[in-house]
Parts: sequence; structure tokens; C-alpha cells
Amino acid sequence: MADINAAFKAKMVQRKWAAMGVLFLAAVIFPMAPGVESWMASEATLIIMYIMAAQGVSILTGYTGLVTVGHGGFLAVGAYASALSTKYLGTDLITGMFVGAAMSAFVGWALGLVFLRLSGAFMAIGTLGFAFFVGTVVNNVPIFEGREGISLPKNHVIGFEIGDIGFYYTALAALGVTTLFVSLLVRSGVGRAFMALRDSEKAAEASGVNRVFYRTLAFSLSAAVTGVAGVLFAHYVNYVSSEVFADIWYSVDFLVATVVGGSAVLLGPFVGGLFVAFLPTFIELFVDQPGDLAFIIKGGALIFVLIVAPAGVVVGLVQLFRWLRGKLGGDTQ
Amino acid sequence: MRSFGEWESPVFGQLLISGLATGSLYALTAVAVVVVFRNTRTINLAQGDFSMIGAFVALVLIKSFAFNYYFALAGSVVFCIGLGILAERVVMRQIADSDWLTLFTATLGMYYILHGVAGHFWGRDTKAFPLTFDPTPINVFGGIISQGHVVNMAWAAAIGLVLFIFFKYTKQGIAMRAVTDDPETAALMGIPVRFIVLLTWGMAGFLAAFAGVLIAPIIYVSPEMMDEVLIKGYVAAVFGGLYSIPGAIIGALLIGICENLAGGYLGSHFKTVTAFAMIVLLLAFRPHGLFGIQKRREV
Repeated sequence: MADINAAFKAKMVQRKWAAMGVLFLAAVIFPMAPGVESWMASEATLIIMYIMAAQGVSILTGYTGLVTVGHGGFLAVGAYASALSTKYLGTDLITGMFVGAAMSAFVGWALGLVFLRLSGAFMAIGTLGFAFFVGTVVNNVPIFEGREGISLPKNHVIGFEIGDIGFYYTALAALGVTTLFVSLLVRSGVGRAFMALRDSEKAAEASGVNRVFYRTLAFSLSAAVTGVAGVLFAHYVNYVSSEVFADIWYSVDFLVATVVGGSAVLLGPFVGGLFVAFLPTFIELFVDQPGDLAFIIKGGALIFVLIVAPAGVVVGLVQLFRWLRGKLGGDTQ
Repeated sequence: MRSFGEWESPVFGQLLISGLATGSLYALTAVAVVVVFRNTRTINLAQGDFSMIGAFVALVLIKSFAFNYYFALAGSVVFCIGLGILAERVVMRQIADSDWLTLFTATLGMYYILHGVAGHFWGRDTKAFPLTFDPTPINVFGGIISQGHVVNMAWAAAIGLVLFIFFKYTKQGIAMRAVTDDPETAALMGIPVRFIVLLTWGMAGFLAAFAGVLIAPIIYVSPEMMDEVLIKGYVAAVFGGLYSIPGAIIGALLIGICENLAGGYLGSHFKTVTAFAMIVLLLAFRPHGLFGIQKRREV
């Protein structure tokens, strides 16, 4: 006889894939829908990029349990790698994404090695230091052209020039790839190794999980995903400069996105990315000159979510759903 | 950062002394971070903003209510203690049993709120804080230092002494140490843990007020004024393993000195990075800080 919980979980999984399917369909149709203006597509692209960056963070923080306040550094690595490749080698956007991912993966792997023995709050501070370090490099090493920045030519994909809408679809496709990647990763032996390390490092090692290998791998993969987001950030405005990429607040925002959405949940980065990317625009819809009020609302919303749903919005909603089902006398299966 | 007495080219002794002065102000923030962390497992990102609000409160008391400096300082201290207690009761208490990432993110929320509140009431521009002490520099061990710096160091030292006495000889201090070491046993022994937690946050506010008001004349007062100081305070706290107060103080002084040296010899845009270079280097060799302890945990 099937275990009650397993049946319920299976149904939730079905629902989750259905939800994702609907989301992607909606996202594909979105720019073509009536009443949607071009700035909305731009905004949606921004949300997609934040979601992807948050996915990167979730690999390291949610699944491997290592808190990072420095993923903005990987964003920068990806962005600059692609920018330099586009400027000096004339590569297109897709190649740029591969270059950015590869470069970030390498830097991530190296960082994982340096921070091999850190955890908890110490890891947080170390990664923050990494973000600052990247910022300083980008500001002072001539090839990156610091504050003046590098202007990039119009985006093109395999020879075709693409505008804003084209960029939106490219970003969406990339998000599809990264989402698939994360979901496969979580299900795989590698993902299980990550989670074992998260739940109890000593026990994992005792069970044969190679700490050095999996830790650096986690860093590497996490960095790669955020690196791709970085490539998108760069080509979104066709410009990279240290003013943007040396800003450590991205790192904080990505972490917040992961925590708010749910760090070890597939849909988590989606909710979190939406929250962080869309909140400023959302506030502007209601208040004329948000300014400081935006800060207060952001902080308040963050605290509210943490009190009400400490494991993230997605998990909170699932629990709410279950509770409602119970109250209404429904079958929790 | 506008610094008194640094108008001529870098001289080692000069940089050393003023590094000690700024370091001792970082120390106030660093100690608060350590105390809050070891009693509540919370990295308080809002610590800097407590100081910032304290600086604004003092400024308002001086400018709009014509308080003299010392009454303004006292008023600020009282306000900030209240702010710390408010933070604990309204926010932190609701999530008291969560994991440290949740606690950390909650303090980030408070950070955003305080930024917004300060900006809303007092504006985002930077304001000068009236100088209370004669800016003419005096000579100390071959380095030139302003009286303001000397007074700051004196205050920091005095507070350090007060803390030392508190933790070693007072009932509340000893109780707090018990809660740090083992909250469960402390509770079983009859120590009111909740009250100690309240006291902890009040102490954070107390330290914050001094940190903010003392540093205000040096860095202009604005909502962002304490952002860098907070980060350096955090780094200094990590030096002490997030556990040891003397470690945090030493870390803070070291950071003050090293960043001054780096700023003087390499250029001022290397200042903040110095703190991070130091900590990343340290963590690579001592993952729990200089004086950190490795708690035994069951697998």
C-alpha cells in the first residue's frame, strides 16, 4: 500500500511541473499579448536575470548549505568575460554565455578551494570579501576599463541581430536551460552529495562523500549559473562598467531572493527573483516618489516574509495550501 | 573620509597613530557584533544603522534643541538603547528559533528600514557634525594627531574597561557569559535568558550610540555613513572568531592601522579592500578567526 506522504508528494511534484509549464507558456506568450508594452518586456527580462542569478545562489546556499554574500562577483566575472570576448573576438551572445559560464566556473572552483575550510558566518564574510575583491580588480586593472566601462555592439545571435524582444526570448531560453540543469542536478548523485554535505558534513564524509571534490564542484556550478546571468546583465544594456558590477548590493539582493523564495526549492528563485527585481517597480506603481519609502517597504516585506514563512514563500504557500485543504475537510492526498 | 592632521605626505608614525584612532572606533562596532552574535547567533547587519540613527539623533539634539555635546551624547545613548530593545522585541523575538541565515536576513530587513527612515526624516545628503574639540593637532610620539582622535580613543578605552568590569564582576555580566557558553544550562540554573537577550540588544544600542556620535565629526552624517564602518567592524569581529571581544578589538585596531598604511602608501581606493584582503588571508589559514573556538557538535 502506497505511503500517504509519498502519494501526496507525487501529486505536489506533478503540480509543480504543471505550474512551471504554465509559467513558461505564459512567459513565451507574454510579449505578444495585447496591452503589453515594450518596457514590460524589458522589466520581464530583468526579472529573468535575477531569477537565474538566484538559481546560482541556491545551488551553493540552498543545496550545499554554504551561505554566499558574494555572488555579485560571479555576475561580474561572467559579464566581463563575455564583454571582452564580444569586444575583442566579435563573438555572439550565445558564445558569450558559454564563455561567461566557463570563466565563472573556473573562478568559482578556485574560490571553493581557497574557502575550503570555511562555513557559516565565516563563509559569508569570505564571499563578501570576494565580491569586494572582484570590484577592486574591475576598477583598477586597465583591461576592464573601470568606471568608463566597455560599450558593446548590438546583440546578435548566430549572425542575426536581435532587439529587445529577441533578447527577452534568448534570456528565457537560457533560463529554461538553467532551470532544467538545476532540477537534474538536485535529483542526481551530485545533488545528493551536496545535500549530504549541507545536512551534516562529518556524516557525509564518513559515508564517503569527498568533501574537497564536491565543495569545489558546488562552487563551480553555482558560479557558472550566476555567471550566465552576468552575461545577460552585460548585454541587457550593452555596457559593462565597474560602477554597476563593483556594486556589492547585487550579492545581497541575490541572497535575499534565494532566502525569500526558498533556498532549496526549485520554484524558490522564481518567487525570490520576482520579489527582488519587481519590488521597486511595484512600489512605483502606487507611490509617486518612492525613494526612502521603497527602502522601508523592502525591509518590512523582508521581515514579514521571514516571520511568516521562514523556509521561504514557496514552502510557506505549500503549507498554507495543506492547512486550507485540511480545514475545508478535503483529502490531503 | 576627512581626517584631522593628515594634511602632509604619509609618515609611518602618523599613519599608525591615526589608524589606532579610527580602529578604536571600529572596535565599538566590532564588539557589539560579537556580543550579539555569541548570545543570539545573530549577525546584526543593522548595527551600523543603529549608530547612524544615534549620530542623527545627537545632531538633531545639538542643532534643533541646542543641547550641549555631552547631553546630546547621553540622549543618543538612551535613544539607541531603546532602539536596540525595540529591534529585539518587535523583530528578533518573533524568529528567535530560526537558523542563522534567517536571523541575518532579518537584520538586513532592519537595515533597509532604518536607511529608509533616516532618509525620510533627515534627507539623503551628507551633513557636517559640529566639531566639539579644537582641531589643532598635538604631537604624540612623533605623530601628529588631533584632540578629537585622542578623545575618541579615550572613550573607546573607557568603554572597554567598563565592559571588562561588567563581564567579570557584575551579576548580569556573568549571567550573560553563562548564556553565551550554554543557554540551556543557563536557563536551568535560573538565569532569565530572555532578559539577557534583551540586555544584549540594549548593549548593542549602547555601543552603537558611541560609535556613531564619536565618528560623526570624521565622516559626515548621512544614511550611508556607517555602511563601510559596519563592514570593517564585521571583519574585525571575524578576527576574533565572532566570539572573543579582545580579538575583535585587536582586529579592529589592526584594520585601522593597515588600511591607513595601505591608503597612505598605495592610494586611498585600496582602503576598504585591505580589510578584506586581511580577513580572507586570515580565514584561509585560520577558518575560525584568530581566537575563534571550534564547538564540538554531534553528528
